[in-house]
Amino acid sequence: MLLVHDVLDKQLTDRHGVRMGKADGLVMLQEGDGPPRVVSIEVGSLTLARRLGRRLGRWATALARRWGGKHTESYRIPWTLVRGITLEIAVDVDAEATRVNVVEDWLRVHVVEHLPGGRP
Amino acid sequence: MSRLIEIALGIVTGIGGFLEAGSLATAAQAGSEFRYDLIWAVIVGAVCLAFLVEMSGRLSAISKHTIPDALRERFGIRFFAVALIIMELVMFMVMATELGGVAIALEFASGVSYRWWALPVGFVAWILLWKGTFGLIEKGVSVLGLITLAFVVGAIHLHPPLAEVARGAVPRLPAHDHARYWFLAVSILGASISPYLFAFYSAGAVEDKWDVSHLTINRITAGFGMGFGGIVAIGALILAAIVLHPLDVQVDSFAQLPLLLTSAFGRVGFALFVCSLAIACFGAAQEIALTAAYMLAQGLGWRWSENLPPAEDARFSLAYTILIPLAAVPAAAGVDILKLTNISMVLSAASLPVIVAPLLILMNDRRYVRDYGNGWFSNTVVALITALAFVLAVVSFPLLIKGGG
Repeated sequence: MLLVHDVLDKQLTDRHGVRMGKADGLVMLQEGDGPPRVVSIEVGSLTLARRLGRRLGRWATALARRWGGKHTESYRIPWTLVRGITLEIAVDVDAEATRVNVVEDWLRVHVVEHLPGGRP
Repeated sequence: MSRLIEIALGIVTGIGGFLEAGSLATAAQAGSEFRYDLIWAVIVGAVCLAFLVEMSGRLSAISKHTIPDALRERFGIRFFAVALIIMELVMFMVMATELGGVAIALEFASGVSYRWWALPVGFVAWILLWKGTFGLIEKGVSVLGLITLAFVVGAIHLHPPLAEVARGAVPRLPAHDHARYWFLAVSILGASISPYLFAFYSAGAVEDKWDVSHLTINRITAGFGMGFGGIVAIGALILAAIVLHPLDVQVDSFAQLPLLLTSAFGRVGFALFVCSLAIACFGAAQEIALTAAYMLAQGLGWRWSENLPPAEDARFSLAYTILIPLAAVPAAAGVDILKLTNISMVLSAASLPVIVAPLLILMNDRRYVRDYGNGWFSNTVVALITALAFVLAVVSFPLLIKGGG
C-alpha cells in the first residue's frame, strides 16, 4: 500500500456507509529505531490548509483559534479502525457520533434553519 | 417502458440543455459575420462534448465517484485546489452571463431594463434549488428547453442554401478578418465544450444512482442528445447567416437577436425567442449554480445532494445560496451582457485542460472504471480533445485581445 497514493485525499465512509469527509491528513509516529507507522487519519479543514502552504496554514489556525470555539483541531480516526481501503476508506466509526460535522451542524442551526424553508 | 422514458429523457436533456446564452450568441455572431463558414466549429464542439459527457457518465456510473471527487482523490489536494479556483471563477462568469441572459429576455418581454431583473431572477433560481430536487430541475429544464427547437424549424423554414451549409461543415481558412474568425471559433468551442457540464453530468449520474445497467442510456443521451443539441446551435447560426448577414449587422447586443426568429415566424417569433432565451439561460444558470456547489462539496468531502433538504447538507446549500446573488451583481450593475458572454466563453475554453486532461487518466484507471475503461478509439479521441484543449487555452487570451472587439 502506498500511503500518499492509496490513502491521502481518499473518501472516508463510516460504518453505515455514510460519506464522512476525505482523508485530509495522516498522523505518523516514530518510536525508537523502528520505521514510522501511521497512527491515525485526520479530517478537517485546518489540516487541509496546512498542506496547501505554511502561510495559509498559520492563517487558518489563527482564524480557527479566534472563531472556531472549542473544536478547532482536526478530528483523528485511529488507524486501527480502518476496515478496508478500496476507492474509499471504510472506517469503523459512526460519523454522527464524531465531530467531523461540527461546521455542518453549526451552519444548519445558525443559518439554514433561519432561512425560509430551511427547517425540514 | 421506464427504460424508454429514461432514453427519451436523456435525449431531451441533451437537446434542451445544449443551448444557452453563450452558444446562442456565438452562433449568431458567427453566422452574421462569416455566414456558414463556422458551422464546423459547432460540429467539432458537439462531437467533443458527446465523447466527454459519455465518459463523465461512465466514470460515475461505475465508480460512484464524481469528477470533482476523482480530481481530489486521484491527483491530490494541490491539483484539486488549482482546478477548484479556476473552475469556480469560470463558473461564476458563465453564471453571471446566464442570469444576464434571462434578465435580457425579461427586458424584451416587459420593457423594463435588464438591470432590474437580475436579482429577482437570481432569487427565483435560488428558491428552486433550495426547495426543488435534482430530478425536477434536470427534467424541468430539459423539457421546457425543447422550445429552442424553434431555431431549427425557423432555419428550415427560410430554405438555407444546402450546398453552402454543407461546405461550412468543413474547416477552412477565412477570407477576411482572421483574428475575428478564430476568436469566434474558440468562443463557439468554449460555449459547447463547457467544462462545468462534465462535473454536472457526473454528479447527476450519482444523484440518479446510476450503475452498470445505465451505460447504454448514458451512451444514447451523450450521442443523440448532444448531436441534436448541436443542431439547435447550427439552426441559430444559419438563421443569423440568412437574416443578419445581408443587413451587414455585426451582432453587438442581444437586442438584435430576436430578429432571428421574427424573420421566420413574425410576431410569434418574438415570443418564441424571448421564451427560448429565458428558459435556456435559466436552466444553464441553475446547472452552473449546482455544479459550483458540487465541486466544493465533493472535493472537500462535505455532505451533498440536491435531493436532500438544505438542513441535511448545510454547507452545500449555502455554497449556492451565496454564489447566486453574487453572480447576479454584474447584470444588476449594468455590465454589457454580450461582452460578458464572449469573455466567459473564452475563459471557459481556456479552462478546459483542467478537466479534460485528468479525464484521460481517470478513464484508464481500473480502480475507477474497472473493466469499462476507454478503448483505443475513445482514448485517441480524448487525447486529441486534450491537445485541442491545450491549444485553446494558449490561443484564447491573445485572440480575445485581437478579435474580441
